[in-house]
Amino acid sequence: MATRILFVTTDQQRFDALGCNGGRIARTPVIDGLAAAGVRYERAHPQNVVCMPSRATMLTGQHVRNHGVWMNGVPLPADAPTVAGLLHDSGWRTGLFGKAHFEPFLDPFLRFPQNRMGVSGATDDEGRPHRGFDRMEFAGHGSAGLFHYGGWLREHHREHMGSFYPALDGTLDVNSAGGGDTGAPQVHRNETPREAYHTDWVADRALGWLAGLDDDDDWFCWLSFPDPHHPWDPPASELNRVSWRDLDLPAGYPSDVTEREAALDAKGAHWRRWYDGDLVSNFEAPAHWVPATMTPDQVREVDAMAHIENELIDEALGRLLAAVAARGWDDDLHVVFTTDHGEFQGDHGLLFKGPFHVDSLMRLPLVWRPAPSAGVTPSVVADPVGLVDLAPTFCRIAGLGVPEWMDGAPLPISSDDAMARSRPAVLTEWDSVHPDGAEVHMQTVTLDGMVCTRYEAGTCHDGTEGELWDLAADPLQRTNLWDDPDRRVLRDDLVAELDVLLPDRPFEPLRVESPV
Amino acid sequence: MDVCREIVIEAAPADVWVVVSAPERQAEWFPGMVSSAVDGSTRTIVTAAGGFLLEEVLDIDHARRRFEYRITGPFRLDHHRGRITVSDDPGGSRVVYEQELEPKALTYVLDGAVGDALEGLRDLVVNGRTSRSWVPPDSTSEEGTT
Repeated sequence: MATRILFVTTDQQRFDALGCNGGRIARTPVIDGLAAAGVRYERAHPQNVVCMPSRATMLTGQHVRNHGVWMNGVPLPADAPTVAGLLHDSGWRTGLFGKAHFEPFLDPFLRFPQNRMGVSGATDDEGRPHRGFDRMEFAGHGSAGLFHYGGWLREHHREHMGSFYPALDGTLDVNSAGGGDTGAPQVHRNETPREAYHTDWVADRALGWLAGLDDDDDWFCWLSFPDPHHPWDPPASELNRVSWRDLDLPAGYPSDVTEREAALDAKGAHWRRWYDGDLVSNFEAPAHWVPATMTPDQVREVDAMAHIENELIDEALGRLLAAVAARGWDDDLHVVFTTDHGEFQGDHGLLFKGPFHVDSLMRLPLVWRPAPSAGVTPSVVADPVGLVDLAPTFCRIAGLGVPEWMDGAPLPISSDDAMARSRPAVLTEWDSVHPDGAEVHMQTVTLDGMVCTRYEAGTCHDGTEGELWDLAADPLQRTNLWDDPDRRVLRDDLVAELDVLLPDRPFEPLRVESPV
Repeated sequence: MDVCREIVIEAAPADVWVVVSAPERQAEWFPGMVSSAVDGSTRTIVTAAGGFLLEEVLDIDHARRRFEYRITGPFRLDHHRGRITVSDDPGGSRVVYEQELEPKALTYVLDGAVGDALEGLRDLVVNGRTSRSWVPPDSTSEEGTT
């Protein structure tokens, strides 16, 4: 009997994107069905809230300080151990389709193997598996970039190479141009037909690979959708799915500007500086866009576009699962669905992401539908878990021991299972150093219903500030308890716990090779 | 300087300078460049990723062994200046490759590429090995792929 793992990731997707998590906009029956038949995690956190560090954690099962990818633009070292490599070496067939981002995207001189593969069309690294995968076919967030998807689009739908939102502007900064009906940043009408859009392409490439596998192959397939990450430019044919004019403003968006700005001022200085356009703390956000200028209608239009993309993902996944079932593989198939980090989508008056350790970016959808043959009882786990736990989970599914170099532990399959383990704490880190001198460093522990973030000294903070959120009493994270004298002991205990749990920093950080 | 990398190459400065001072030869040692054609003071770089760079050669100072250029397109930079200097060193030659630019978005990209380029320069001068992506001019004209 073979064992099969379908690992499905989206990019920059919020917890409430899914119906099973209480989302009321996008229809996601496929993922909801997986959750109903499996384990749904109520509090899954990334170990970093941008793509490259988070994806490196998923692939290695390591905390950021151990895999070393401390910021976007830092490539995962070529010799980093990976769960895909472990499975490959154990005789599994391994494939990744869609967005990888273990190496920088902006690479005009093709310094990195993934980009050389994407441009040449090769699906391995000069005859060898790349990072443990037998086959890789890459997609990014549009037609541009060094991906297989761009080459395919050029060959089959050349007329739509220019239909996507241009990610960069004429100065190679991230594009700030607005579009759609409201002028919202990174919103764009895309005439690319649905069947040529990258969501369906990713599923198609995976289906093609799966079709070539033998019935008794063990396989690990990472299906990595680039959406609903910005730009928000789903196929125009799908825009009628969700009308932004019909949407309420998100609960996390403070409509009253005075209230909104007061809440930002109660957080660390970098919050208000980003809102006012005074700080670029994450290169992926448009360089010249000022969040303070965002209108309520723009929030609603972004919300609608993201949820259209969520629906397309759900349907593409459903199509793939149907094909797998038709092959007779479903009974032995484990499906794990998650994302790499969240998105503000209007929360706190912001868009995109950055050094902000709140639920918008940290609370992620995570569903594990164990193989029906495993007989796991469906459940909901409320205790915090991390993406660092995914690779160890894959090891356990495969019947492999969890190697010492992995930091995480296999995911609990129920609340009882979680309770039986040691005190569940999850770490999230942020470090950024930009050429203009801006530096932000933060570490967060989520434990006992609290999220505690310590700021280190940088260009925005003096090292005494932080955030303390009571998740039950303040689900929208409006009241920062860091300086509350009544919570001082709790805060100090959590910071002490943070110090115990955090791995040491590398002696010398890896070099940043690209802005993204 | 926004980017500053250096390397010591086990070769006489004159041998290094003869390569650095020939703007049309940059693609031979800068990884990821397919060609580097010069027309007057304009250099056109074709990259392995399928793009191109337009540059203006500003100065080739043989006395100081200093080569200066700036990127002029296709994207807009408010300011760019690149400088490569070859000097004497007990180990042979010291090559310093500097760039300043505004805006800063490309800083990290250029920093990494310049590091690779200096290794490529050493490979060419010491070992005679050309860059992985360079296409000799004769073959490009024969294949019509310029």
